[in-house]
Amino acid sequence: MTRWAMVADLRRCVGCQTCTASCKQANATPPDVQWRRVLDMEVGEYPAVKRAFVPVGCMHCDEPPCMHVCPSTATRKRPDGIVTIDYDLCIGCSYCAVACPYQARYKTDRASFAYGKPTAAEKQGFDPKRLAVATKCTFCADRIDAGMAKGLTPGIDPEATPACVNACISQTLSFGDIEDPHSNVSQLLAENQTFRMHEELGTGPGFYYIWDKKGEEAAA
Amino acid sequence: MNTTEQVAAKLASSGKRATYCYQCVAGPDLLTVKIVDGVATEVEPNFAACDVHPGGGKVCVKAYGLVQKTYNPNRVLTPMRRSNPNKGRNEDPGFVAISWDEALDTIAVKLRSIMEAGLLDASGYPKVAANFGGGGTPQSYMGTFPAFLAAWGPVDMGFGSGQGVKCTHSEHLYGEFWHRAFTVCPDTPMCNYVISCGANVEASGGVVGVWRHANARERGMKRVQVEPHLSVTGACSAEWVPIRPKTDPAFLYALIHVMLHEAARERLDIAFLKQHSNSPYLVGANGFFLRDATTRKPLLWDLTRNAAVSFDTPGCDPALEGSFGCDALEIGADAEVLAQGRLEGSPSFAKLVAHMQPYSPEWAAGICDVPAATMRRIANEFLDHAQVGTTIEIEGKTLPYRPVAVALGKTVNNGWGGFECVWARTLLATLVGGLEVPGGTLGTTVRLNRPLAERLESVTPGADGFMHYPMNPTDREHWSARPNIRNAYRSMVPLAANGPWSQALGPTHFSWMFLKETPKGLPTVTLPELWFVYRSNPAISFWDTKNVSATMARFPFVVAMAYTRDETNHMADILLPDATDLESLQLIRIGGSKYIEQFWEHEGYALRQPVVAAQGEARDFTDIATELARRTGLLEEYNASINHGSAGVPLKGADWDFSLDTKRAHGRDGIWDAVCKAASAELTGGKQAHGLDWWKEHGLATKPFPHADWYLYPTMVAQGLRFEMPYQERLYRIGKELGNRLHENDMQWWNEQLAEYQTLPVWKDFPGIWEKSLVKMGGTTKDFPFWLLTSRSMQYSWGNNVGIQLIKEVADNVSGHRGVILNAGIAAEMGVEDGDMVEIATPLHSVTARAVVRQGIRPDTLLLLGQFDHWATPFARDFGVPSMNSLVPMSLELTDATGSGADIVRVSLKRAGAKP
Repeated sequence: MTRWAMVADLRRCVGCQTCTASCKQANATPPDVQWRRVLDMEVGEYPAVKRAFVPVGCMHCDEPPCMHVCPSTATRKRPDGIVTIDYDLCIGCSYCAVACPYQARYKTDRASFAYGKPTAAEKQGFDPKRLAVATKCTFCADRIDAGMAKGLTPGIDPEATPACVNACISQTLSFGDIEDPHSNVSQLLAENQTFRMHEELGTGPGFYYIWDKKGEEAAA
Repeated sequence: MNTTEQVAAKLASSGKRATYCYQCVAGPDLLTVKIVDGVATEVEPNFAACDVHPGGGKVCVKAYGLVQKTYNPNRVLTPMRRSNPNKGRNEDPGFVAISWDEALDTIAVKLRSIMEAGLLDASGYPKVAANFGGGGTPQSYMGTFPAFLAAWGPVDMGFGSGQGVKCTHSEHLYGEFWHRAFTVCPDTPMCNYVISCGANVEASGGVVGVWRHANARERGMKRVQVEPHLSVTGACSAEWVPIRPKTDPAFLYALIHVMLHEAARERLDIAFLKQHSNSPYLVGANGFFLRDATTRKPLLWDLTRNAAVSFDTPGCDPALEGSFGCDALEIGADAEVLAQGRLEGSPSFAKLVAHMQPYSPEWAAGICDVPAATMRRIANEFLDHAQVGTTIEIEGKTLPYRPVAVALGKTVNNGWGGFECVWARTLLATLVGGLEVPGGTLGTTVRLNRPLAERLESVTPGADGFMHYPMNPTDREHWSARPNIRNAYRSMVPLAANGPWSQALGPTHFSWMFLKETPKGLPTVTLPELWFVYRSNPAISFWDTKNVSATMARFPFVVAMAYTRDETNHMADILLPDATDLESLQLIRIGGSKYIEQFWEHEGYALRQPVVAAQGEARDFTDIATELARRTGLLEEYNASINHGSAGVPLKGADWDFSLDTKRAHGRDGIWDAVCKAASAELTGGKQAHGLDWWKEHGLATKPFPHADWYLYPTMVAQGLRFEMPYQERLYRIGKELGNRLHENDMQWWNEQLAEYQTLPVWKDFPGIWEKSLVKMGGTTKDFPFWLLTSRSMQYSWGNNVGIQLIKEVADNVSGHRGVILNAGIAAEMGVEDGDMVEIATPLHSVTARAVVRQGIRPDTLLLLGQFDHWATPFARDFGVPSMNSLVPMSLELTDATGSGADIVRVSLKRAGAKP
């Protein structure tokens, strides 16, 4: 089986928002809808303070709270772990947005564009099906599927890889199959100490955060 | 189909096209643009370039704004003429659409009338001026306009839009002097320990900087970030040292003190100091080198012979410490013999040791507000990581390996204190032999020395065993009180040299200031009769923006290439809509070693091509330049300039000649086809001559660039040259000579700046310079207790993209883009909550901002990111975010000897009403 997952190396992220911008463009999301974004966080008090940049978005959970509360079965989970929304089934109730502990879901009731009226580029990307329904990161499932159909490997071949990963200038983001022990992401998880956000909730996020090499604590 | 129709048909199709983004100096980034039915929809990295680009072929966030930039409905899309003769912020320009013919003819008539009357005015200044922002990046977008300017003749390019005060100015000038490089950085891929004083490379280093540092962090490089606020780079560093603003020289001096007075001498690279620096040169009683009476070469004391010998004597073991008597000359400014005969001298290293003695960590602690133990630990960590004595092999060359470096950021390495900081930085590298060697502190690329694209080839032997440097003359015969342009760089700043970029490296605020009152001795500064402006908005990006705006409103004729309306083109007489990034054509040189952290192992060319048809009536800048040349009667000179290389490549080479017929006007594609063929031939030694069509398909072509050429050290060794550290005898001499010239002309107003020319710089109360300025403005430090600073916004910086919604949206995710950052403890004391409106004021001006309450900033410091406060630029004028530029004064007393000022000002802070 395949389980697609995202890995973010927090040692590398600089909060540049290139992933955010590329996601918005690749997925033609309207203003203020950010399926991928990077939090700018502070921990501690001056002068003992740390600042960290944390990419977030849909975690494509093993047990997606959004799916369980969806009354219309619009939200589902594919066998490869990608959590999807069927816009034809979604009734826009927003239960999923409330249930998601990662604040990853958006709902836009009316069409909105960067400068009021749609530009030529926005007309190309506009999808009326996305109005008044829940939307979120898809792990660029369309790219994955189309790429795999061509025999490409998601996470390795750009054409089959999520836009945010392709765009990431610090190599913070990696994508791949964690069920394949030889995949890029499996290697990263094997070599580094990681955590998943709100793991205590039992959601089983498909989004891992690297914060140090394995064995660093012992060495220190 | 004719060619135009073929191009149109191709553009109407779908697919991906290769191009580049060079909106900031950390570029270029190589990208592709996805086209759907002739519409640009998506930017992606050019994955085909990932093996040659040092940032994995990735693309900066700014480039993702190019699609919106193309289709921004606020664009100016027809030529326009001002209908209101009155100019000013509160005057409606009354722009009316006109034809290209009318616009170009209007400009040409003006230019021809200037030609007929003479290109220089009564003061000797060029009547035509031009302003390009963005650290030279507009050159990658202006097509063949440089050829038009070259054909025209003298042009004043010294009206600053931030040059000198918004750049790392001291680093530029002293960097070219010591490192033969415009900017300086760590050899990040091999470095293990970096002390970074305010260098914000994660925001300013572009894709390559971010890429290299992320790799280095992951492999364990430690970076200590020393700065008053916790920047993006501070966030990514192992340690943050919150230093008091503008006290970095004291911090760096304390590190040097520890290395010279507390560490064992053998921990330094004694061999490097003896053989590759001026450390052993004997210094006489007057501060100048002792010289051989016959050859006039500097002397050193040879421990082997126990005698003074010329510095270039083979097989000697020079003394670094002690005092020695010898027969010598001591020669001062203007070749004056100050002493001769039996003279006593000490090696410059000994002078350095004595000089640094007072600057202990305990001394610095009170100045910097950094514990002495922290500074002592950092100095020792630097030594611990230096690996003095080790070597590494690079492409078959065995080179010293010193994986430690010091990096400096803006406001640290410019303005008063900038000289001291860059000297200390390069000295720290020198002491451990980490100067221009693998792992160490490196220069990048040249902009003042020639040839522009060949850093190492620009190195030639000069006097006293050092590199030649093209100083502006200070001797009585050649110095002139009649400068070539209004900022007077040639008369006032010897280090600004006389190279391709020197005009912009003068005191560019002088051009604005001196229009109000020209100081004694200089010809009266005059208004330019015609001013070209492109990708530049000094009404926002310079200081004292209210007065700059008022001054440019007096300019009689302004031609602005206009993307949208903005605060500077508000004063324009003619607006010309140039085809923008994704609509126009240009070939540029890429690779080698370039700005910031751009170290490539390849070099070549990349094409920016029109991936979509130009919107409205926007025209390619090359076609605009050609038409201006034709209509002003300069076509032959213009074409000749292109043939000579002003489009980036000489069209004639050893075995090829793609020169344009100089007698006729050529279309854009014809010109760039010739440039493409010449570039192709240059890359392949004449074997290939690919034309424009090939480059449009492939986007770029490169050849290998040696990794070893990142380092200056092998060239210095090969030419038998020494680095001009630590002792600054030459600077001291030219400073004295400059003083002599100025005083001979009764010019006393530069005396404080003249004091900066020192052999070994002393600590001065640098913060006090701004505090005195505050008092002069009518304030007191008690009433204006905060230091207001700024910091780089990666998302906006130099992108001319403040009107792009996507950029605003994603930038707002980064703290500080919505208001002024202040310390949480201070905010609590003042009862200010996050989002509250606050007033920031100097005695002269005030602005209001939303409070952004953070822990990562000193209690005495405020921070305004980027440069905003727009009032004319569509979209941006609604941000409600101020800029420190509205508060910072332009003044002589805040100008250092290089003509630079620093982005810092004392302010007050108070609540400005209830929380919205």
